[in-house]
Amino acid sequence: MLATAEVTPPVGRSWLRRKTQRREIVNRSLAPAAAIGMFIWVALLQSDVATYSGLTLLLSSAIPLVAASLAALVVISIGDIDVGIGFFIGLTNAISSQYLPRHEVLGWLLLIGLVLAYSGIGALIELGRVPAIVATLGASFIWMGAGLVVLPVPGGTAPGWLTSFFNLSPPLVPFPIVIMVVLVAATTWFMSRTSLGTGIRAVGANVQSVRRHGWSILKLRMVCFGVAGLLGVIGGLSVTAVADSGSPGSSADLTLLAIAAVILGAGEFSGGYAFPLGAVAGAVAISLATSLLTFLNVSSNYQGSVVGIILIVILLARVVTKGSRR
Amino acid sequence: MNRPTVLSRSALSELLTAHPWIWAFAAVIVEWVLLTVIADRGFIPTMQAQITLAPYLVIVSIGQMFVITLGNGNIDLSIPYTMPLAAYFAIGVAGKPGGSLAVGIAVGLLCGVLVGIVNSLGILLLSIPPIVCTLAVGFLIQTATYVRAANYSEQLPQPLVNATLAKLAGIPDVTFACVLLSLLAAAILYRTRYGRGVQAIGQNIVAAERAGLPVSRTVVYTYVLSGVLAALSGIFLAAFSGLTLDIGSTYLLASVAAVVLGGTLVTGGRSFVTGVWGGAIFLGLTVTLLSVAGASVAVQDMGEGVLILIVLLFAGRTRVVQRE
Repeated sequence: MLATAEVTPPVGRSWLRRKTQRREIVNRSLAPAAAIGMFIWVALLQSDVATYSGLTLLLSSAIPLVAASLAALVVISIGDIDVGIGFFIGLTNAISSQYLPRHEVLGWLLLIGLVLAYSGIGALIELGRVPAIVATLGASFIWMGAGLVVLPVPGGTAPGWLTSFFNLSPPLVPFPIVIMVVLVAATTWFMSRTSLGTGIRAVGANVQSVRRHGWSILKLRMVCFGVAGLLGVIGGLSVTAVADSGSPGSSADLTLLAIAAVILGAGEFSGGYAFPLGAVAGAVAISLATSLLTFLNVSSNYQGSVVGIILIVILLARVVTKGSRR
Repeated sequence: MNRPTVLSRSALSELLTAHPWIWAFAAVIVEWVLLTVIADRGFIPTMQAQITLAPYLVIVSIGQMFVITLGNGNIDLSIPYTMPLAAYFAIGVAGKPGGSLAVGIAVGLLCGVLVGIVNSLGILLLSIPPIVCTLAVGFLIQTATYVRAANYSEQLPQPLVNATLAKLAGIPDVTFACVLLSLLAAAILYRTRYGRGVQAIGQNIVAAERAGLPVSRTVVYTYVLSGVLAALSGIFLAAFSGLTLDIGSTYLLASVAAVVLGGTLVTGGRSFVTGVWGGAIFLGLTVTLLSVAGASVAVQDMGEGVLILIVLLFAGRTRVVQRE
């Protein structure tokens, strides 16, 4: 694991270090390679996607998963797992499509309140000594219920400014790619260049040492879940923009897809490590894989299990190749 | 070591610390009285409705309780998907003309065994966190269920339906059977080598390993147990309330909630079979109260979520105080 390697470099064992580094490079390039491979496969089946507008269309549907994956990455890097992000995105999708077009102030207040509520989960985990799994699972039912209260049946519409923002067409580079680059850059900056991000990774690597160092773990966990909530709101807004409507239940699958994307992108469940570029590449690869299944006319019955299979295959491959990486 | 440093502890608080499930039953009595007054359906009928529905949740929750007792992040999220899987496969065999009910139930339970084996292998061999592994397996078996349910023509076997409706002295036979099952589960958990192994792993997995306990085998057995109980509940629930793809959907959070409300530690190592009954009936009463008050299903979901978070917050607090 890279985080451990940074803390205690294997001094005097350069061959071992080189071996670890090589494995790390392979691991980190897996997701980008998978994304490019998937794109080529889709392009071979449907040559239109290789154009500017085709790429925009194909990649804009990946933005919600990209945001969800970065949210999952931030939470995984502190050593927790979040099983509520899918329903949270569903709720923010419902709020932004129901309230933002007509009651703008109310809509924004609700979204800001939700980010605070998400950081409240971090406080609950820390203060109540509750396992993150159970806390986020309990919270997911609140998001799901609240989403259905806001929007009992799918409906609503995207606010005009949001649609025109997503329809921006910069020269040469399709806009979804610009959004992804910005999200990766911002998350990478936060996780590696700020003291809060470093603190979050430190909690994931070794809680005891952070506590002895005198940092507030409560604060770090609240910031961590707050950032995840912010990314969740971005995800919800992008669902609204892409679908031009709200449907709280339809984002539920994002939870597991996001975790799979983080793991595909060289992530580690043990925490202490964050590689946003990998998570985003993983998200794009998985999103393209589901598009591919549609182009290949695979029954939608089978699409749900694709994620499960992807996740298990990656982890199986890692167990076979890594040996001592844990 | 377990002696509390606080000197003045009343007998009552000591009793509550030793038997945290009393809370759940106290809450049941409060809600029972409240509901009797609000809904005006009579004292006994109010509870009769609850003990008719509670067994299906109790069966599932006992499996979940064993898994949670393992500690170390163990939890079974595949339960809501195992229930319809087992129901479709069991009734698919038993509902055919001339199909045998016993064979059908056996096939359904076998589905549960397989789910448990796949879950535990993923957790042990691939070191996937249980929450992710059981969720991923859940998605896989959901596909299997969809495919199985695509061309479905079998009818619910009448003997099975009758079995879920039979009553003795106003109490369903299923409830009696579930009480027996709970006693059996308690005997396994507290009296057998396997059950004590489950608790030991939940208390300290390193110590359990060093003491020579078969940790891996215990984990496999526990997930298989959870899968089988989910399958059992799914088959009977389908016969009782009709076979649909989403018969298990409310049982995910409810199973965790019933276990935790019943005083079982979320972090593992300590669990109470009696508490599961208290937790399950309490949840049932809460849902009834909310629907009597005119709340939609969505609000009921939210209520359940809020309830579990509040209980967790307090349960966690008391444990921390205890430790100091």
